[in-house]
Amino acid sequence: MRNGRLLSLYAVVAYSLLHVPLVVLSVFSFNASRTTRWEGFTLDWYRAAFQDSQLLEGTANSLWIAVAATVLSTVIGTLCSYGLWKRGSGWISGSLYLSMVTPEVVMGVALLALFQWMFRFLHLQLGMHTVILAHVMFSIAYVVTVVSARLRTFDATLEEAAMDLGATEWQAFLRVTLPQLWPAIVSAGLLAFITSFDDYVITSLVAGVDSETLPMVIYAMARKGFSPAINAVSTLIVMSLGFLILISDRLERRS
Amino acid sequence: MNRRVFLLGLPGMAGCYRPGLRRLNVLNWTDYVAPETIPDFEREFQVRLRYGTFESAEEMLSRVMSGNSGWDVVFPSNSFVEPMRGMGLLAKLDHSRLKNLHRLEKRFQRPPWDPEMEFVVPYMWGATGIIYQSLLPSAITSWADLWDARLAGKITMLDDPAEVIGACLKKLHLPLNSGDARELELSRNEAKAQKPLLRAYVNDTVRDQLVAGEVMASQAWRPTAVRAMHSAGDKLRFVYPKEGYAIYADNAAILRESQRKELAHSFIDYLCRPAVAARIAEVQFSSTVNEDAQALAPKNVLLYPDAETLSRGEWFAPLSLESQRIRDRIWTEIKAA
Amino acid sequence: MKRIRALFLMPSAVLLGVFFAVPLIIIASYSLLTRGPYGGVAQPWTMENYLRLADPLYFTILLRSLVWAVAATLICIVMGVPLALFISRTGKRRNLYLALIVIPFWTSFLVRTYAWMFLLRDTGLINSGLLWLGVIQEPLPLLYNAFAVMLGLVTGYLPFLVLPVYATLERIDKSLVEAAADLGSRPLSTMFRVVIPLAMPGIRAGGVLVFVSCLGAYLTPDLMGGGKTIMIGNLIQNQFTSSRDWPFGAALSLLMMVAVTLMLLPVLRRKEEGLS
Repeated sequence: MRNGRLLSLYAVVAYSLLHVPLVVLSVFSFNASRTTRWEGFTLDWYRAAFQDSQLLEGTANSLWIAVAATVLSTVIGTLCSYGLWKRGSGWISGSLYLSMVTPEVVMGVALLALFQWMFRFLHLQLGMHTVILAHVMFSIAYVVTVVSARLRTFDATLEEAAMDLGATEWQAFLRVTLPQLWPAIVSAGLLAFITSFDDYVITSLVAGVDSETLPMVIYAMARKGFSPAINAVSTLIVMSLGFLILISDRLERRS
Repeated sequence: MNRRVFLLGLPGMAGCYRPGLRRLNVLNWTDYVAPETIPDFEREFQVRLRYGTFESAEEMLSRVMSGNSGWDVVFPSNSFVEPMRGMGLLAKLDHSRLKNLHRLEKRFQRPPWDPEMEFVVPYMWGATGIIYQSLLPSAITSWADLWDARLAGKITMLDDPAEVIGACLKKLHLPLNSGDARELELSRNEAKAQKPLLRAYVNDTVRDQLVAGEVMASQAWRPTAVRAMHSAGDKLRFVYPKEGYAIYADNAAILRESQRKELAHSFIDYLCRPAVAARIAEVQFSSTVNEDAQALAPKNVLLYPDAETLSRGEWFAPLSLESQRIRDRIWTEIKAA
Repeated sequence: MKRIRALFLMPSAVLLGVFFAVPLIIIASYSLLTRGPYGGVAQPWTMENYLRLADPLYFTILLRSLVWAVAATLICIVMGVPLALFISRTGKRRNLYLALIVIPFWTSFLVRTYAWMFLLRDTGLINSGLLWLGVIQEPLPLLYNAFAVMLGLVTGYLPFLVLPVYATLERIDKSLVEAAADLGSRPLSTMFRVVIPLAMPGIRAGGVLVFVSCLGAYLTPDLMGGGKTIMIGNLIQNQFTSSRDWPFGAALSLLMMVAVTLMLLPVLRRKEEGLS
């Protein structure tokens, strides 16, 4: 049992290391001063955040893009890992790997060139769709990496057994493999969400007039020093998504 | 998209979506207007204005380079005017629609980067100088003071190749935009000699450290410095170094791709109204190029220095391919040292 | 059997074919072009960008970046595996603990980094706290050095390791670990003999993710390290921003991609362990 307690103790330390910046930034969302000097409690930054339409739209855009990109890349990526697990494909796994190694700024510039060339024929403009496409593209590699790692520990005979018992290939995938993959899919989805939600370099290049994201708004402020309204928005996002997770945890434990 | 955004239920969003209004898309630095500038314009001209922001002039350029970006009005720095013109991105301005141009300071009515204001209208100008703690035993007056070993570990420089190399060149009394290999080499040696004394190469984040007294002297953009002084009071001072210093200006321009040139002209003209310009300059701690606005804005010798100080400033200019390449190599070498 | 596999691979194949393979070709051709007079790319075709790479300066930077990325990856593995093990053993609450790993990443990277800078500064929370307690007389130099960069990288990419390792560990029977303990195995040796071998596919996958992310990082060295070192990520970023030299930037990226691939080949090669 000493074993478990030591591990829990370590977990507390590791979690606090990850959460320290979060605590700091939410504390400063209540600071009356614009600088990092504490000058008393205020809710002004929350008010300011709700009056800043650029900030609100950026947040809404970012959330939409991240949700769409996460769902799409998780589905496509999971299917891909399963296909690759059945029989490898050098081309696909090679490109997936390369897409991870390509520096973001180069990827962004090249994607922009591609979009512009395509749009000359399609009468389209840059927008949410281009950002989502780009995010799905770079998230797939993350999803496949995580899900494949899981599949590698998976026993292929289970599926065969199911098919011997009369299940179709499709049923075997849905009933046998997919439930086993669930933890990996959840992990992959979470990873895809944070990479999409936090991406700045590629997004800033392929975003159009109406698709400015939260990171774009925040990075643009960097030269002037950003307003604590950013902290307020970040705190609200963490609180509300955190709340959703708590609820789903409750539901999961009840069922 | 707007409808979906609305469905998300974020309060405040509902007000943003007004169907049927004309649109104008403006791409500018963050907070480069006063809080009421945009709402007032929207009311007066019955438009919906989208104010987008960028992090660096290079980012702005890559976003509009395609020629079908959807933006109408952009704000290039003076050294970006020639490249953007050369790439055919800018529209010719129609001076008959810009009634307020005569209000600009004389020197900005003939800016060196576009003498006839064919493509751009100067908007705000800024400078790079030194901000330092007033408690220092001897006041800082020159770039050379940032090589003072007594301040070791308490000095910062900007994290920007043009600024650092520029300061080194100025320290050597050489031209800011030098493309001469030998001169650049000398400036590299200066930068390498200074590096051990530096705390960091930082841009805006130095502000809090100056206010807290951790940093003694910093190369800084004037807006950053003025903001720091605003929160620290008399503890900090800003100086235009005596060897000379860099100045830059941001300009309003209309993209050639714009489908709303008439409205774009109205917006630029609106920004040139003295009351509007004065208010923006006041809120942004920035220097307007608008002479009539200067009369309305609070007097400030820091933002509007005397003629002697002004004469020491040198404009950033676009660099030749060759000099750009040497500078990049030098910057990499400084950073890798 | 064949048909379902083809169907499953189709979406990613199309997506990668259009939105990755084509851009990659664009990058490769950029690297063979000349910088335009105002930035961008222009004719004529040239090998010059690759000849410029022969400069020892760039190799030093590449080498240094690789060393840093390896170090950060190793630290992430040491820190991340026990954390993943912890999550996998929390039973029904595991999704909650998993979410707790990523929650800090629902804020912007820049905001998080600024929060760290506030903590590490001379007058920051840590130094003021230690001074107040009398543990130290002078503020410790915590910011703008190698330590700060490493801290930024590790806390920034830890989830990239924890999530895949958790995904493989979750399958491991709890009883297996307990059985090992019952048989008198000490915690550390259980860790090395039972947990790590089972988690190896996850560690490899996560290690690759962390490694390539750290190699591309350019803001952490700038902000946490005070811009006093230059990594390959910064060098490439500079070519596309301040220097506006896309062809050279493209050549540098390809050089980096080749170097990384060569380095990771032993990890990726294992048929049963690689990316696929």
